[in-house]
Parts: sequence; C-alpha cells; structure tokens
Amino acid sequence: MNWQASCLLACWLPIAAHAAAIDPGKDPVPSVMWAFYHTQMLGDAPFVFDDRVKLLAPPFAEDARQVPLEIDARAFKGEVVKILAWAELNPLPKIVDFQPVSGVLPWLSIRIRIEQATPLRAAVLTRDGLWHVGSTLIDAAGGGCTAPSVVRTQPGWEEHIGEVLGGRYPRGEFSRLRLQVAHPMDNGMVSGIPEFFINHAELRDGNDQVLARLELFPAVSENPNLTFDIEGAGQTRLLLRDNSGNEFDAAIP
Amino acid sequence: MRWMLLLFIGMSLPALADLEYSLKPRLIAQDTWLLEGSTDNFAKGNGGNIVNTAFIVTERGVVVIDTGPSKRYGEAMRQAIAATTDKPVIEVLLTHHHPDHVLGNQAFTDVPIAALAGTTQLLRQQGDAMAENMYRLVGDWMRGTEVILPTRTLEPGVHSFGNHDLRVLSLGGHTGADLAILDQKTGVLFAGDLVFYQRALTTPNSPGLAVWLADIATLEGLPWTLIVPGHGPLATDARPFEQMRDYLGWLDQLMRDGAANGSDMAEMIRSPIPERFATINLSRYELIRSVSHLFPRYERAQMTRVDSTPDN
Repeated sequence: MNWQASCLLACWLPIAAHAAAIDPGKDPVPSVMWAFYHTQMLGDAPFVFDDRVKLLAPPFAEDARQVPLEIDARAFKGEVVKILAWAELNPLPKIVDFQPVSGVLPWLSIRIRIEQATPLRAAVLTRDGLWHVGSTLIDAAGGGCTAPSVVRTQPGWEEHIGEVLGGRYPRGEFSRLRLQVAHPMDNGMVSGIPEFFINHAELRDGNDQVLARLELFPAVSENPNLTFDIEGAGQTRLLLRDNSGNEFDAAIP
Repeated sequence: MRWMLLLFIGMSLPALADLEYSLKPRLIAQDTWLLEGSTDNFAKGNGGNIVNTAFIVTERGVVVIDTGPSKRYGEAMRQAIAATTDKPVIEVLLTHHHPDHVLGNQAFTDVPIAALAGTTQLLRQQGDAMAENMYRLVGDWMRGTEVILPTRTLEPGVHSFGNHDLRVLSLGGHTGADLAILDQKTGVLFAGDLVFYQRALTTPNSPGLAVWLADIATLEGLPWTLIVPGHGPLATDARPFEQMRDYLGWLDQLMRDGAANGSDMAEMIRSPIPERFATINLSRYELIRSVSHLFPRYERAQMTRVDSTPDN
C-alpha cells in the first residue's frame, strides 16, 4: 500500500465508523424516493436528517417557474465542503452543487422550477464526511419545468444573454450580494428547444481568490437569481459559463 | 342488485346535496340585492363562494353584477334572481376577468354580457388556465364550467338601465382592467376587487400598487353612500378605503425596503404582518403570493448592470 492509499484509507475510516454508528433519524417529510436519492446524490454515504440545515421555501408555488429557495447551513459555518440541493419529484431534480470555499457563508438563495408538489432537499457535506440533510415540502399546481420560456417571448432576448444585474447590500459583519443573470436556462423539456443553461459559476474576490464554486442545473429558473453573503469588503467577481461554452463576467463593486 | 343500487343512491345523495350554494339575496338598498360570499380562500368546502355578487332590479329588468365562480353558482344565482323578482335579466356587467367573478357566465348566455375591452382580452388569454386551477382548488363544484367571453364592450360613462343610471368607471389597479359601478339612484358603489375589506387583497395581474392607490382615491371621491367590496362586508363609511390605503401602502413600503437592503423573496414572505391587520383574513397567504407577483420589479429597481459585456 503506497502512502496515498494509506492516507485515503485513514481519511475514510472515520466515515466508516460513522456509517455503523449513526442513526439518520426520521425523515421529516413524506418521501417515496429518499432511498433512491441517497444512492443517486450521496452515493449511499452516511447522513442524518438535520433541522440545523434550514431549507426555506414558500408552502406553495405561486409561480412554479420562479420558486424562491433559501438554503441556510450557517449552523455549520467553517465546516461545509459542499451543499447539494434537489427537488425529488422534478423530472430534472438537481438544482445546485454549491461549494463555499472561503469568505462566503454557507448560505444561498436561488430560484427554481417545480413540476409538481414535491419534497425539497439540501444535503450539506461537512468536513467529517457526514451529510446533513435539510428538507421541506412545497405544494404546486405544477408545470414549472415544462412551461414555455418567458425570456424567449421577449423580442431581441438573444442580445441580452449574459447581462448581469447586481447589487451589494451591507449587513453588519458581512455583505449581501445579489445577482440576476439574463439567460433562458432552457432545460430541454420545452417544445424542441435543446438544453441551453448556465452550468458553472464562480465567485472570486478582488485578488482573484475563489470564494465559491457552483454547478447549476436546469431546475434553476430562467434569468437565474443568486444571492450570497460575503465576509469582507472589496470587489467581487462572478464568472459564468453555459453549456454552449459562452462565458460571462461581472464585477460587483 | 336493486338494494345495492338503492344503497348506492342513498350514499351519493348527501354528497350531491352538499354541493348547494344556497344563495340568499339580501336587500341592501332600493332595488339592490347582494349575494355575499365568505372572506376565505377557494376550497372544496365552499365551492369558491368567496365573492360578492349583486343584482339591481330596474323598471326595465335585472342588471347582474358578476356571475360567480362556477356554472353551478351562475345557475343558483339565476334561480335566486327569479325567486326575488318576475322581471327578466337584461344585462350582465363583469367587474374584471378573475375566475370567481366570471365563471358563472354560462347561466347568462341569453343576455348581453358586458365588460371593459381589457377584461375580455385578459379573459381570452388567461381564462382557461384560471378555470383549470379552479377545478383543482374547488373540485366537483366546477363540473361543466367553461369560460364564456363577454359579448359587449362597455365604455366608461353613464349607462341607463330603466330608472337606474349607472356610472361606469374604467380603472386598473387590481388587474389592469377593473370596472367600478356607481348607481347614481341609490349611491351604491360596486367597487369590484379594487376594494377588498377584511380580506387580503390579491395582486396576480396588478400593474403596480401606485396605480391601485390612485384608483382608491378616485373611488373615494365619488358620491357614494354604500360600498360593496368585491370581497368582504359592506360599509357605509370610508373604512374599506382607509384599510386599502393602509394595506397597499404597507405592502409597497415593505417591498421597497426589502429590495433596498438586499432581501430575497424567501425572506420577504416571512416578513412580520403588522398587528393592525390582524382582522384581515388570509394576509400571510396573500403576502406570499404578492411577493411572487411584485417583488421582482422592486428588486430590479435596486440593482445595476455589473457585467463586463462590451456595450456596458
């Protein structure tokens, strides 16, 4: 066994111990698909249902194409490796893979599409290798994933792709950063329009250090809204890339 | 076999009997009758009877104001009118295109159904989707209900129906095409959904709260003696207008402040609702809806272009 393998084994041992010892607790929402997603999203890794991960959404989707979702894992500040979110009964369930690297709180606000009433999940991987799963339920008349694009009905929408509206709002020890990107975020489910969506985003500080990385998926609403809480002042950059290779860049003073 | 059939009928009868609107017209002014709904949300228990409809028995015949949430309601309304007067229905006036006000139209296809041009256009665009949602919300009460478009375009101004001169106003704060009707003979103001009273206002088609506030000022300035809100109890004083102004002002300021300090929608819907609105039914539910309808406009106004595209 070489040193790398030993190291890997050493790192994984605590998890193996977890797996045997940890009781995940009771699923707080009625779900028929948890076992499937436990395998699919978390690779059957050890987890707990954890109400310290707050997943906040309205009780019903007034507009199933633009459902606000707030993921709050600040209880695990400094411990978070990544946060995965998904909507269990969506045809395309994945929402976001958010990795707060440094100087950004483990908190994210985003808007998503909902196809029908569904459990929503945010799984937070902490440095000890355990997934903490926050859950909520949302009711919906439905159809958010298959509704025709609103962006594409606006004349000249192609001209505006990649435009970013943004703002920084001081909030004491951190500052709130809000961003809205003009993009149709086509999910491939609407009348012969293929997938065309922003799949990668990165936040960097004034010294080009990475603050956070995000993989975005087509459950994210068109004209994506992203809200972060950033520690420290100075300019912040947002770099975006869509699945056609277009790159966009924004700087928030 | 026969006893099974009897048993089946026996079991289904109570269910059918439950779907009775039991509309009881109430005389609120000379010749003027109100069918007052609850201030609740659409539900399978109420058949969507959450709305105020009315009719005026003029010398020439009956003028109907809004037809209710379903075909069944429209038919029950027609029966209630027939039980009140021998005069024929001569015209229907629709205050706006929302489903709880127009989906009883099927019971009135033998008379002109009049509405603002904008109302007809909105009903054409949104009617089917709204009716579909009503089936989801109130279920079997909706059976057989279909959208019937208005057959006559109503122009603002004074329209005479027998001995009643109705002053019709074309406003727009609630949906973009909102009719208010002042009966100049009785002083009754049918405010439609420009006025909600003790029931939280709804905003899915509102062009903006400032427009709505201006409409409230217009209505309050009319020579009314009795206010019939679209939802909620009658009033002989200005309290419904005061409540509307207070509530609209609060909603506007809340979203303005929220956008200015960078709040997102999920946070906005959790905002505290002032104690003074405790008597207003469904305020939390409608706040959640209004944030979805209106907050995107407020937040965009507080953001600037930050991308580095060449034309920026």
